[in-house]
Order: sequence, then structure tokens, then C-alpha cells
Amino acid sequence: MDFEWSPDDARFREALRQFLDDELPPDWEELSRHGPGSDVQAAFSRGFCAKLAERGWLTQSWPRAYGGADATPWRHAILSEEMWRRGEPRGSQYMNVNWIGPAIMKFGSEAQKRLHLERISRGAVLWCQGFSEPEAGSDLAALRTQALRDGDDYVVNGSKIWTSYVNGAEFCFLLVRTDPSSKRNKGITVLLAPMDAPGIEVREIPSVVGERYFHELFFADARIPVACRLGPEGEGWDVVSYALAYERVGAMRYARAALMLDAIAAHAQARGLADDPGVQEKLGAARAAVEAARVLSYRVIDLRARGSAPTADTNVARVAGTLCENAVSDLALELFGPDALEYGHAGDAYFRLAMTAGVAVGTTEINLNLIAGRMLDLPRE
Amino acid sequence: MDFEPSDDQRAICEAADALLAQHAGPARAAALDSAGGYDHELDAALASAGFSEAALGPETGFLEATLLCRAVARAAGCVAFGASALVAPGVTGRALPGPVALARLHDDAPIRFGADAKSLLLDCGDEARLLRIEPGTATRVRTNFMWPMGRVKQVAGAGTSLGGGSGAKLRRWWRVALAAELLGAMESALAITLDYVKRRRQFGRAIGSFQAVQHRLALATVMVEGTRWLTYEAAARGAPDESAALAAAHAADAAQLVFRETHQLTGAMGYTREHPLHVFSMRLAALRQEMGGLAAQRREVARARWASAEGARSEP
Repeated sequence: MDFEWSPDDARFREALRQFLDDELPPDWEELSRHGPGSDVQAAFSRGFCAKLAERGWLTQSWPRAYGGADATPWRHAILSEEMWRRGEPRGSQYMNVNWIGPAIMKFGSEAQKRLHLERISRGAVLWCQGFSEPEAGSDLAALRTQALRDGDDYVVNGSKIWTSYVNGAEFCFLLVRTDPSSKRNKGITVLLAPMDAPGIEVREIPSVVGERYFHELFFADARIPVACRLGPEGEGWDVVSYALAYERVGAMRYARAALMLDAIAAHAQARGLADDPGVQEKLGAARAAVEAARVLSYRVIDLRARGSAPTADTNVARVAGTLCENAVSDLALELFGPDALEYGHAGDAYFRLAMTAGVAVGTTEINLNLIAGRMLDLPRE
Repeated sequence: MDFEPSDDQRAICEAADALLAQHAGPARAAALDSAGGYDHELDAALASAGFSEAALGPETGFLEATLLCRAVARAAGCVAFGASALVAPGVTGRALPGPVALARLHDDAPIRFGADAKSLLLDCGDEARLLRIEPGTATRVRTNFMWPMGRVKQVAGAGTSLGGGSGAKLRRWWRVALAAELLGAMESALAITLDYVKRRRQFGRAIGSFQAVQHRLALATVMVEGTRWLTYEAAARGAPDESAALAAAHAADAAQLVFRETHQLTGAMGYTREHPLHVFSMRLAALRQEMGGLAAQRREVARARWASAEGARSEP
């Protein structure tokens, strides 16, 4: 066991912090509070990711054959931590790098690799994911959006919901049912759908989370070329399982929580509450939740670095991440006080970011189910 | 970064588990408890295998001692391994005549191993003091909490000072040892409960197949695994202020949940002396109030991370 960073990794983190200090504009902190779906942040991510790409960092974790640097999972984790710490200036592009690109490498045709991988590694393209449907949320295999073959196209009908990052997205990683008689996870196919295809309509679902956070996608006889299919027809479930297993620990959101908690503590100190035992106790509790999320995420990175197959440690880390975000966002409101109720205040922005933690990318209940089944070996019945 | 134990660490833990399977376990702890005693035999076995000196060994250190401390707690060892093999070498750089007990100044409340200890490490704020406990100066306390406990009469200025700053050192290693003991006891309490809910059938099915039961055990697992890595990290880094406090705070928090859920899910059977859960659960309840309990551990986290120079105070 060794809980220290190697000197190389530590230097990489320093270089990254310097880069962020140099490249993020003075008003970045305020820009980032509009949230990842906002016009400003979607636009900002393009220029920013292009600069990351110039430094060779955007897709450093990819194999050299695809323009990456074969960076270790630890290096990749450092990148993710430092980005989240500063409000994720990559916007939605972390998805491209973390799992959309790798899924295309594994299942894509040569033409798809040429079309997509190079654009992703330049930081020049935005993606959204079309998974959830009105009747298929946690139960994703219940999805019904239909894609029927007609010549060289699939004709897509149905709808997707709760889609984030639609703002400015050029492509959608879309899950559809290509065999209308199929049930559950059979007969599902992945399409790399261009968002400008006729017949795709986007509607924002206004929410308290933030600007352009949720959307509904409607498909009315949308024609998506068969050449856009990723992997074999009917085997999309395997493609998406691979992609999400690759994603594993997901965004290192605790890094943002850690920075926010430091700001909350500084504010409490400025208000003269530093010696209040009740305040100290709550700050300490939240700090412990943040640090537990960090070490449990590191455990997942560690397993990945040694090439082990995905385990329920991922779900343990995700539940811990949600506990961490809940603890910090509760304190954000409590210790910033009424100022945090004003839209755009740091406390408000964090509260909105954190409030979806237990729901987004797999609910806490699903994560607990997976821990119970896979790690604790509890019977299903 | 590397979260896997080395081959040597694995071998040490396996050897310790084999020794503990022979010389410890909840049945032995329960028998010793009714006799009101300390497990001198286990102490001797751990010492002759070299485990008690792991912290200062030529090829082992404080991380190995912490792994052993967790193993002893997981096997319900009725010995002061944390204080003797982890805290004593952490503060004094050497082994002390054992058993070793730990106490806070002017706190003559019952302490673990108070009636059995030969040495007492006393937290006096800035400094720590080392006292020899003379036979007959401590009294055994009757307790339901499955540790041998006693009151030690503290005399002002007694013993020898371990120097300025030694108090903080004592508290840092005490927190790591406490976290490791909580971790080991929680693991066993959870394992016993998992086994129970898989076998116990009601309404025609194992109660462990109910989602309401599964989610509680899964959440407890999240807390226990968090404790594990925070504790090992603190030990490997030499028990820095914040890291040690984080491990102890998270462990105390987890222990509260594990106590409640394991007893809830084992029903009436879990309260009985014939069932092994009580050995671990009652110990957990005692451990989590040590050093001021959860609230004090959390305040220490906050102090270690954010206290300004003038705000930094030494405990107690």
C-alpha cells in the first residue's frame, strides 16, 4: 500500500493548476455558476478544450494509436479532480473523453473512428446522451424509442427525456429499439445520431437545477443513416454496458465539494463562527464525507489501474459521493445564510449542482441494490 | 498510489488471522468477559509472533501495526493492542511495559484496560505523561460493554513528561488506533449480520432478500469501506493531524450506524449472550465515545483543517 502521489503525478497536478490559473478568465467563477447546460458554458468549453488538446491533456488517457498518451488511470483521475475543482470548464466534453470515445474505439467502424475520434481529441465537438425515456428511467431496459430499418436509414420515432448538455450538441449517443418484438435488453441498438437530422425536435424542460439543464428530445420519422450505428444491430446493451463500465467512477465531483467546503469554512470564520462548537461539528462532518468520497473513488481508480474487472466498489464510491455532496450543500445554505438564496451566489450555484447527485447517472437506490447483490451477495428473490 | 497490500503485508495479515483464529474470537471474549479478565495469553502469543513490535520493526512500520490492530479487533481480541503496539511506539518511539492504557488528564472515568494496565499514557494537553500503574491503585469497573474497564487514580504531576508537543502526538496515534479498532469490530458485526439475514427466513423468504434490509446493509458497507481507507491512509502517512481526525470521525459515525442496523436486523436474537453480535456491537458503542466521541472527533477535523494560528488550541 502506498498513499502518496508519485513525483511525476504531483508535477502533473501542479502544471495543470498553473494552466487553469492562466487560461480561465477572471470571471470564470461567475460564468461557471450558470451551470454546465448554459449558453456561456457550452460555448466556453470549445475554446477551453481546444487549449487542453494543444497541451496533449484532453485525451491523454487514450491509447497512442488514437492520438492519446496512454496516461495511467491515476493521471486521468488527477485531470478529472482538477477540472471539477474549478467547476468543470470542459463542460460536457468530459463524457466524450471518458466513455463516448472509448466506446467508438471498441465498437466503431473505421469511418466512424475517422469522423469522431479526431474531432473529440481536438476538443471541437459536443455530445449529449439519449438514454432515459418517460417510461425508462432507472429501468433503462424498458426503453421504447423505435428505429426501423428503411433502406440505408433507420427511421426513428419516440422520445428521450432528462437529456442534459443538448445546448450546442452536434451528436447524440442514442439508445433505440431496432427490434419491435424484443423485450428488455435484447433488440437495443446504439446510434451516433447527428442532432441536425430532420425530425429531431428539442424542448427544454424548465427546472430549478439551472439553465438548459433538462431537455426532451422528440423523434418524428427522423432518418438516421445505418452508417451511424455503433456495433451490431440488437447488441446495443453490450455497447452501453461497456461504455459505462469504462466510465466507472464518473466525475470526481467531490473535488468541487472540497473546494466549496473550504469556502464555506472561510465564510464561517469571517462571520466569527469559527469557535462555535456546533458549526465546527458540522464542518468536520462534511469534511469527513468529502474525504471518504475521495478515498473510495481512489479505490476504484486503483482497481482500474491494476486491470481488474469492474466491481461494486464503483457503486460504493458513488453512494459516498452523494453523501458528500448532500453534506456540503446543506452547509452551503446554512452557513452562507440568506445571501445564498440569491440566484448566482456561490452557495446557490453549489446547491443546484449538488441537488441532483443522488439521481443523476444512476440513483442511489440502484447503487445500493448493486452493492447488496454483487458485494454482499444478498439473495434477490 | 497503491491500495493493494504488498505480499509481505498480506502474509503478515494471514499469519495474524491464523493466530487469532486459535487464540481469540467472540466466544473467548465472552468467556473472558464473564470472568472479568484480560487476555494475557493472547498478548503473549501476539508478542512471541513479533506482531506487538510491528510498528518499530526493521521491515514493518505503523501501517502494518494498524493492519494488525484491525485484525485483533475483528477477532474480538481482549487485549490493549492499539495502545501497546501503535500508540505507545507512536508517542515514545519504543515499546512500553504492557498492557498500556490511555486516558485524559483529570478524567477519572472508567477507561479500557484501566485495571489491567502496567503503563498509562496520559493526555495532558500540550504534553503527554507516562505513568507506571502500581498494583492496587486501579479498580475494576463492572460494565456491559465487553471491554475490561477500570478507574485509575490520577495524581497531579505524576510520572514523566514526554516533552512539549507529545500530547498532540498521543492524540493523533490514539485516533488512528481507535479508527482501526472500530473498523475491525464493524467488519465482524456486519459479517455476522449478513450471515444472519441470509439464513433467517420469514414470510417464506430470506429476510436479506428484502430491499429495505439490503439498502441498510449496503449503506453500512459504504461507511465501513470509507473508514477502512481513511484509516490506512492516516497510518501510512504517519498520522497527520487532519488525516487521523478524519479516520476517527468517520469511524465513529459509521459505528453509530453499524450498531443500530446490525441490532435492528438481527432482531431479539442479536441481544442475547449466545449470539456473537453483542461482543462486537457493545464494544463499538464503547469505542465510539472514547476521546469525547463523534462530536469531538468532528470538531477536531474542523480545527485541523481550518483553524487559524490563533484559533488553534490544544486539547483537552
